[in-house]
This record gives sequence, C-alpha cells and structure tokens, in this order.
Amino acid sequence: MMQPVFKDIRKDILRISKISGHGHIPTCFSVIEAIYAFYEAMKHDPANPSWDERDIFILSKGHAALAQYVVMSKFGYFDIKDVETFGSFKSVFGCHADRLKVRGVEASTGSLGHGIGLAVGMALAFKIQKSERRVVVIIGDGESNEGTVWEAIMVAVNLKLNNLKVVYDNNMSHRRGLQICNPGDRFRSFGAEVVEVNGHDVEALKSEYLARHDTLKVIIADTKKGFGCKTMIDNHYEWHRRSPCEQEYEILLRELDETTV
Amino acid sequence: MRRQFKDTVMGLSAGDDKLVMVLGDVSVYLFKEFQDKYPDRFYNMGICENTLISVSAGLASQGFYPFVHTINPFLTERSYEQIKLDMCYNRFGGNIVTCGASFDYAWDGATHQSYTDLAILRMLPDVEVIQPGSRKELDVLLRSQYDNGKVTYYRLSDKPHTIDLPVKFGRAEILKDCSGKVTVMTAGPILGNVFEACKDLQVNLVYFHTIKPIDKEIIEKFRNTDIVIIHDAFGLFEAVCETAGLSATYYGLPKDRFCDTYGTFEAIREDIGLDVISIKEMLRKKLL
Repeated sequence: MMQPVFKDIRKDILRISKISGHGHIPTCFSVIEAIYAFYEAMKHDPANPSWDERDIFILSKGHAALAQYVVMSKFGYFDIKDVETFGSFKSVFGCHADRLKVRGVEASTGSLGHGIGLAVGMALAFKIQKSERRVVVIIGDGESNEGTVWEAIMVAVNLKLNNLKVVYDNNMSHRRGLQICNPGDRFRSFGAEVVEVNGHDVEALKSEYLARHDTLKVIIADTKKGFGCKTMIDNHYEWHRRSPCEQEYEILLRELDETTV
Repeated sequence: MRRQFKDTVMGLSAGDDKLVMVLGDVSVYLFKEFQDKYPDRFYNMGICENTLISVSAGLASQGFYPFVHTINPFLTERSYEQIKLDMCYNRFGGNIVTCGASFDYAWDGATHQSYTDLAILRMLPDVEVIQPGSRKELDVLLRSQYDNGKVTYYRLSDKPHTIDLPVKFGRAEILKDCSGKVTVMTAGPILGNVFEACKDLQVNLVYFHTIKPIDKEIIEKFRNTDIVIIHDAFGLFEAVCETAGLSATYYGLPKDRFCDTYGTFEAIREDIGLDVISIKEMLRKKLL
C-alpha cells in the first residue's frame, strides 16, 4: 500500500499543478519514490546544501522538476508554500529547475540527454579527488532516445565509475516513438551492472543506491506514469502536460485516497 | 600552435593539480608527457564530443579546470547545446580548445573546415572567445584565463602568424595608425597575410585576438574611418558592429556557400581572396 507520505507528495503536485496551470504530472508521479529514496538514503544536508561531503542527485529528465521540488520541501530545503509559485514569472521554481535559483539543486536540466553527462563528470571528479561521494542521476526511457545517453554510459563504463548510479525511469514513455525494448539487456551489453526493481518501492531503491558495485550501475526502475491515479494511468498521453481543473482535481484526489497500490 | 598548447599546459599543471585534460581522440600522442606525469588527470574519452563537453562541465562543477580538446567543428557546432546549457547556463566554466580552423584541414573538405565557431560562441552569455594568432598569444592568454571559472574558448590553428605583439586579454593592438581614411581590422593567424598586404598602403591596421569581450575603446578610435574587417571566419565583423553607427564592411568568406574545395590551406585562402595579393588589390580599390 502506498505510504501516506507518497500520497501527500502526489497531492501537493496535483494542487500546485492546478494552481499554476503547469506540470508534467504523470512523469512526476513515476519518479517520486526514486527521488525520495535519494534524499532518505544518501548524504546531504538541507541546512547546508553545499556541504562538501554530500552525495549528488541530478534529475536528467528535468520536466519532472515539480516532483523534485515537492520531495525536497519534505526534507526541509524550502517551504512548500513557496513552490506554489511554480512556473510563474518571477518564481525561482521553474518548470525546469535552475540550479542557481533553487537551493540544493545540483544541475539545471530540461533539454534531454544532458544531465547524465554532467553526472559522469561529477563522478569522475570524485574519483580524481579519491572521495567517497556518490552520484545518482535519473534518466527517462524516452530521454534514452538521445544518443548522448549512450555516449555517457560508454564513458562511465570505460572509466569504471562505481560511484555513479543511473536510474532508468522505465515508465513506458518510449512506446509512442522510438522504442527501447529490453533496456536491461542493452545497458548490460554496454558493460554496466544492471538491476531491475519496482520503481515505486522506496526501500528497494534505497538499498540499490547504497549497494556497492564494481562499475557503473544502472537501476531499471519499472514505474507507471501517473502512478496512484487511475485516470492518469489510463490516459497518460492526454495528461502528459495537462493540469487538472477543480472537478478533475477532486476526482484525482479521491483516486489517490482510494488507491490500493 | 598545438605544441605551444601542450607546453603551456605542462607549465601550468606543474603548479596546479586542478587541471584536467579531456581529449576527443585528438592530440593524444602530443600530450603523452602529461599523461605519463598526471595519469589521474588525463582522459582520452573517445570520439563523443557532446559528452566531452558535458563531462568537462561536471568536472568543473567540482572545482576542476578542464581543458576539453578536439577538432573544431565537432566540438563547437556539434556540441553547441552542451556548451550552451551544461557549461554556460549551469555556470560550470572550463576551457574549450579546438584545432583545425579555419582551413588547416583543407584537403579534408567542408566537413573539417570551421568558420562559424567564433560567431556562434560569442552569442552565449558570459563566454570568453579567443582566437590566438601566434604561439605567444596562446601562451599568454591560456595562462591568464584558464582558471577564472568562466567558459573560455580558444580557437587554435597550426598556421600561426609570426608577428610579435604585446598581449593582454580583451585588448586589441594598433599595428599601424597613419591617419588613413580606411582602417583594416583583423584577427588570428590571417594577420600574417593582412599585415603584408597593408605594408605599403595608407591604411590603419588593428588586430584582435580576443573576439569577446571585444575592445570597444579601440574601435571607437577609428569610428570616423571606413572600417574593413578582413577575417577568415564569422564573428569578428559581428563583434565590431556591436558598436553602433560604424561604416564597416566584411571581406573574407564567400557569401552563402561552402568552401568545398580541397588542396592546401594556402590554395583555399587564394581561392576566396585571402592571399596577400588579393587583399592588397581589394584595399587599393577601396582607397581610390
């Protein structure tokens, strides 16, 4: 059963999307647990976001920024009330995050296929520094249509970056366009260590983040777009970047309350 | 000039353990000395220019000074979005050093030529754009800018000019001020030909190695003359013309077509009118 905290996060996302008229809700709902697992399991300090021993989290699929903001607010990085300005003219909380505006965000992302290369560079930097710091980056399955994802994977394997974990949000976005069948086999054939987990199982994700590995690890996180709301799961293409009206909002909240997943 | 690049980097790295080389399978043998001495900070990452830039940005985010290097068009045109977003927008500075421009690889044809780099990179916020024309210029400008946290672009050519000039980042040099009614402005290695062509002519001559920030003070000095920008690339003309109200024309690359011949670099210069005789002829007409 979905824990109350994850229902709360989803409700916040729905509410902020309704207020702002922005947000990619289905894709936000697929990565909530993967983001939350990072902030629960890894080293970071909301009181000191630039702590020099912190681990690094990068949301390469930057259009799920609202999910990151809401999760970070749960960990004390900022007040959820501030996130309600999401996407408005002078807000620091854009629909894609700007690291220079949002405290604790490590990289400005948005254009797909960029965050993973940055993550490789950061992981390499920690290796040169002989530091124990780790990097977790979430990429989308649709994002993985980009050739730069595979370049970065090859480089990370070549450099044996065992301090880098790539979470592949397997939410079936790819199905509509360039399909990536058997992603685990593909990453394995590129030389990465691969595990497949339920991407909504926060404990499984935490344990994979903390597990040691010999080279780059790719965590195939099987997820559902719109997870928690039947309406969205059934119609996620329609909901790709829609915000709910008042009536839809009530229906979606009810679905979340009644969900049995 | 690439040898100078290596020599300067070797000199800098002796006192700076934050300097990291990121190569795209180019100049690898040249940097063997660096690789042997600093194996932890030498990466021939392969032929993946987009990722070279992203990885360099990631290194910069953790306090390193990356030097990312490969052939010009592949690093600048192919990876423009990585430079724009991963380096510039994220403010993860680093040193982008390319080789081959404009026509060093003449015989390889249009795929390996590059003349848009200066123009497109100068449009990105807060980037420093440098076209060293000589080994000395490269040495001085690398040393002065490499660790300032900004994105700094260095466009190298293996056909440097040999004129010895004072070098300071952001400052142009007046090579000739004869109160002529025509002022020639140029940048980079083509100075060799331009200098020779201007020798016996009643024209002023101004030289730039820094395209951004452009030295507006010197441009102002020649505001009341006819300015002719002679350059084997785009970018200098646009930078000069940021100063409003000038009478400025461009002489260099052909309009709206590829330089799709092969042969030698001198042959291409001659073909497009950037040899000494053609430049001189053009200026003579201008002076009539």
